[in-house]
Amino acid sequence: MQLKHGVISAVDHVQEPPDIWFTRVNSKWGDRVPRLDRQADRSDIWVIDGQQLPLSGAGSVGAMMPDRTIEPRTWADMPRAAWEPRARLEAMDRDGVDYSVLFPSVAGVAGENLNRIADPELELACIQAYNDWLIDEWGAASPRFVCQCLVPLSSIDAAIAEVRRSVARGHRGVIFPSIPMEIKALPHVNEPDWDPFWAAIAEANVPLVMPAGAPGPIQIPPDSSLSPRVADAFRAITRAASHVPVMVNFLLSRILLRHPTLRVVFAESALGWVAYLLEYTDHQFREDGVHTEGYELNPSGMFHRQGYVTGWYDRSGVRTRDIIGVDNIMWSTMFPQATSSYPDTKDFVTRSFEGVPQDEREKILYGNAAKLYSLN
Amino acid sequence: MQIKHGLISCDSHGQLGRDAFTSRMSKEKWGDRIPQVVAVPNDKGATIERWSLNGKVSGPGPFAGGIVNCPAAMGDPTRRTHPQRWDEVPGIVYDPAQRLTALDEDGVDAEVLFPNNPTQNFGFPGDADLELDCVHAYNDALNDYRRYSDRYVPLALIPYKSPIDVIVKEIREAVKNGAGGVVMLTEPSITIPGVKPTADPFWDPLWAACEELEVPMCWHGSGGLSKELAVPLWEGYSRHATHTAMTARLCVTPSQMIPNLLFSGILERYPRLNWMLGETGMGWLAYVLESCDHEWERRQLWRDGFETRPSEVFNRQIYGDFWFEKAGIEVRDVIGLDNIMWESDYPHITTTYPDSKAWVKRVLEGVPEDEQAKMLWKNAARLFHLNVESVAPGAPA
Repeated sequence: MQLKHGVISAVDHVQEPPDIWFTRVNSKWGDRVPRLDRQADRSDIWVIDGQQLPLSGAGSVGAMMPDRTIEPRTWADMPRAAWEPRARLEAMDRDGVDYSVLFPSVAGVAGENLNRIADPELELACIQAYNDWLIDEWGAASPRFVCQCLVPLSSIDAAIAEVRRSVARGHRGVIFPSIPMEIKALPHVNEPDWDPFWAAIAEANVPLVMPAGAPGPIQIPPDSSLSPRVADAFRAITRAASHVPVMVNFLLSRILLRHPTLRVVFAESALGWVAYLLEYTDHQFREDGVHTEGYELNPSGMFHRQGYVTGWYDRSGVRTRDIIGVDNIMWSTMFPQATSSYPDTKDFVTRSFEGVPQDEREKILYGNAAKLYSLN
Repeated sequence: MQIKHGLISCDSHGQLGRDAFTSRMSKEKWGDRIPQVVAVPNDKGATIERWSLNGKVSGPGPFAGGIVNCPAAMGDPTRRTHPQRWDEVPGIVYDPAQRLTALDEDGVDAEVLFPNNPTQNFGFPGDADLELDCVHAYNDALNDYRRYSDRYVPLALIPYKSPIDVIVKEIREAVKNGAGGVVMLTEPSITIPGVKPTADPFWDPLWAACEELEVPMCWHGSGGLSKELAVPLWEGYSRHATHTAMTARLCVTPSQMIPNLLFSGILERYPRLNWMLGETGMGWLAYVLESCDHEWERRQLWRDGFETRPSEVFNRQIYGDFWFEKAGIEVRDVIGLDNIMWESDYPHITTTYPDSKAWVKRVLEGVPEDEQAKMLWKNAARLFHLNVESVAPGAPA
């Protein structure tokens, strides 16, 4: 594969502009359609079917702001590269990124802000608006954008239908909130009810992608005494850590054994805890005698065959790549969030990959992602 | 004390005797609310014994596990045997004299004592008065270990529901009588409704006292947050898979609690107050330190009074633990060679007892001897002020 920069970012975010919703969602829904609301203090917030959300949604555009900790107050101040594909391509060229795998912001970390819409018809209309906009605007603008779809949670059947429709339109990954039972009344992800969903994704030959920051109490709220800036830092730190129980549950659930061709990305995981977690899960799995209960692979075995994690600033995680699996790590820039390595991605890569053999470096920086998303 | 073997366990579990509370608490005042061993029928109608707290039999269910958590000491290599009555509990678990033979058999010089039954959650149910009397009795009873031998480092418990001056008074007395550290819930406000959060100025007199007394605050495992920070537990797991699911994920708690502590301002205000972690393992600490430093840099948090890089604050004041892992050893320089301690977790199911020497040899293969010495006993001896008089030739130094 010929790349100019040698970096595929497995996690970047788009900011969904207001016109996606009012041009694509039937006006019969009135003010329940996601919209911007101008506040008394002249700032904009989002309102999604009564749910109020900050302007930057579940994401942030700090990396493009003069002060990374201060988000724009109105849509007019939203940096163009956050929501417009051509401006984004220029940012990628500046930063040294060949391909970018896309995630939402306003729709949620993993679509959950739309999933919280109670009416199944409105939820689906909004999900499809996002999925179609991404393909029509970003996918059409350049093959350098790797589009991934969101799914409705009104029913498992509805989710499966949207997977099939979206993949047919060109989406290359399925984004899924890791604990859907916290959003809607749904069976636990480990229940057989979900098997047709995993099967549909595996059959479509695209990965299941679960971003960090699951809904529910899994992230401790920042202490009330913290300043907003420190509270945001705290949330960014605890978000990646919140993937720990998600990974443990998934690896013990046997989902990967029942669906041996399903690939799972634990996106925005960071890397520093992964070697420890695989080692400890294997250790307890053995100590507790679970290996006698009919698992053909142990937890790290399942992970090595089918799992992926993503880094962006990590060094110790790269040092423990043998335990995580050189084939199981992808790199990212997390653009345009405050935590992003932009515009210093080249420096971050130099620092993180010091001493790493060339072939391993290429796998992590772009080879694994290219293979996973069929980008050859 | 002497270092004969070169291993100090920074996390073992000290079992009190069956009469620890009944011999110390007023029967007139508390009656059957005193923690004590009681006879109960099991689901097959046989009579077994369990601890009762505040008049109720404690634990996940009277017939799960045993009266004392000590499966590694029952002579069953599968560790599936639990004592159902007090007379089945081996003396090497609760008797300070006999327990030293277990340490010697395992090749361990000293051990730091976190709680065992009946207080594995590090708290007592009931009102503030009852809690205080229970804690006081506990602290006094556990100090019997120290009175017997300086190879034991008892950790004091906190009466969370009391006013701060009462808490500080209890801790001062416990330390005076031998306690070498203080066990703390990682976020008491979540575990016990009504108790102030760690970052609240309410706790300042405790930090000041512990800094002055030079005793560390000691967190253990999920420190009271095992239910909250989890994917809802799947009912379809077997009993053993449930245990794996519940334990393997535990680093999610300290991964969030260490940043909670690093950003609380406590460590800046009390720069000589130490914290240590028991039963958390340490590989994940590399993630926490890098993540905190990264976000501190990207967001320029020195503007908020955090002038020192978070990983440097950690290196200055916080200690982690390891027992089974290799991954964390590979990045020990990231965590800090002076910040790592070893543990055995005796007598719990995951303990390296009675093969601690063999475990350590395997896990530390290739690590230079002076680094081994730090991680295996020197850092713990320093943190807990163990007066080491001599080091045997065979021990790492």
